[in-house]
Amino acid sequence: MTVKKRYLRVTHLLFIVLLLIQLLPDRSTKEVFTSSLVTFAVGLEVIVLAISAFIKKEEGLALLLDITGFVFVILAVWSLATAKYNVLNDMLFPAPGKVIHQFVEDKDKIWVNIVSSLGTTLKGFLLAVAVAVPLGLFIGWSARIGGAATYITKFFSSIPPIVYIPYGIALLPTFKSVSVFVIFLATFWPVFAGTMSGVLGVDKKIIDSAKVLNVSKPEMLFSVILPASLQQIFLGCNQGLSVSFILLTSAEMIGARDGMGYYVKYYSDFGDYTRTITGLLVIGFVVIGVTFLFNKLQNRLLRWKR
Amino acid sequence: MTTNKIEIKDLTVNYIENKRSFNALHDVSFGVGRGEFVSVIGASGCGKSTLLSVLEGLYTPAGGSVQIDGKELHGTGTERGVVFQHYSLFPWMTTRKNIEFGIKQSRHDVKRSERAKIADEFLSKVGLTGFGSKYPSQLSGGMQQRAAIARALAMNTEILLMDEPFSAIDAKNRVILQELLLKLWEGDGSEDRKTVVFVTHDIDEAILLSDKIVVLTAHPGTVNEVVNVPFERPRRREDLVKTDEYGKFRNRLLSLLYSDIAERIGGDEVVL
Repeated sequence: MTVKKRYLRVTHLLFIVLLLIQLLPDRSTKEVFTSSLVTFAVGLEVIVLAISAFIKKEEGLALLLDITGFVFVILAVWSLATAKYNVLNDMLFPAPGKVIHQFVEDKDKIWVNIVSSLGTTLKGFLLAVAVAVPLGLFIGWSARIGGAATYITKFFSSIPPIVYIPYGIALLPTFKSVSVFVIFLATFWPVFAGTMSGVLGVDKKIIDSAKVLNVSKPEMLFSVILPASLQQIFLGCNQGLSVSFILLTSAEMIGARDGMGYYVKYYSDFGDYTRTITGLLVIGFVVIGVTFLFNKLQNRLLRWKR
Repeated sequence: MTTNKIEIKDLTVNYIENKRSFNALHDVSFGVGRGEFVSVIGASGCGKSTLLSVLEGLYTPAGGSVQIDGKELHGTGTERGVVFQHYSLFPWMTTRKNIEFGIKQSRHDVKRSERAKIADEFLSKVGLTGFGSKYPSQLSGGMQQRAAIARALAMNTEILLMDEPFSAIDAKNRVILQELLLKLWEGDGSEDRKTVVFVTHDIDEAILLSDKIVVLTAHPGTVNEVVNVPFERPRRREDLVKTDEYGKFRNRLLSLLYSDIAERIGGDEVVL
């Protein structure tokens, strides 16, 4: 890539526009923390410039710059509508600088809540995967009673997991364990169904190929059937993961004492919409981060597919 | 009593399809000598692949018997290496891992550390040096079959069963693979040759490779004739195809292959 191609981009122009907008006088009656926004924007720009100096793939650079450009545009529009021209209710719509400032101020509290939310999700999710995959392999393979099991699974997975919450509360001692239980159920059925459909769909030629190599039964299940149905298993896991986040945050808003859902609910009850919006954005970033890592894992384990 | 490595006697196989049983193979008998290369040819639907499935241990016959070294065959076994037309290799393992897996299954005396070395040795024998860490999906069809052959050979089994291994390969590469197999199987005389049962519908492939050709007829699959291939080894395709004998022999096989069809045409039975 030429230097021109690397650095002469619309995104950097948008960055300058965003900074120029900040020179306009503030018209909001509330504090707007312009310096926080400027610090954030400059920080982001510096990081993006540093990455564009080292990035090798042109598509990668374009994607990074496009996303950053969007962020700058959103920040510019947002600060125009709030801090600069005050066209929105400044009680309900905090300025971007204020949200950033709030995030920095609350970062320890937010961190604790993220850890709590992720811990609960992972516990329920991993437990479900650890039970559903071996069970799905076993039932899908042995006796091939998969047909009947598929209908049973369809029935149970059609119950929206959130309706288990009241029963869970009656059944289990702590709200934390209720959340884990509900996430477990939400993940178990799609992963179980995915594993079974994966097993039932394994090409007969692959099974024959394994048979003529005289593989033992555990080897057949875990060295042949498992990798052969891995893609379907991941489909189930993806479904489970996205439902898990919805459930967790809903559950946290119902009765938890920590977690990101609790953070958002708690502060909106007090009319602290700066923190509410901070919480919403943080949840978005956390979910994106987890999904990203999970996709990386999936691509790594399925790299043998073309 | 018998000196044959594989002895097939009165083999009958029934298929059940739509609740109707039909006869795929009927009273098939022939023997395969130790170190002999035998091809089974026949029109599609004659049951030649079914026959191989029985030898692989994947299909239980309705009647008759298959003996290996005088012992009745039961199920699959690692004394038989198999190369299929598709999916001989596991797509989630690299070529080297596939070969190592085969070695692990058939040669319990080989240590883990040695498997990689043997795998690389056989990869180089089939001309795949440097492709050990590739996945099957990254290889062409011809290369996949090379790797499958490498695995079957690395397993060091006495018997090799090959089910139309080159049928899905383009004509040019098929010729190359046939010659590679011929070279590997004929060897330099220092080792005992493997006993091979090779299923194909390609007459030239069968003549080039085999000591003996079993011609099957369809509906139900029966042995039409077992023909000895009269050509000296080591064979070379170019020298072979030039001779008059080759042409005559090929025509004889063709007429055997299509004799049943000709008969049926004569009897107004078949609409072609």
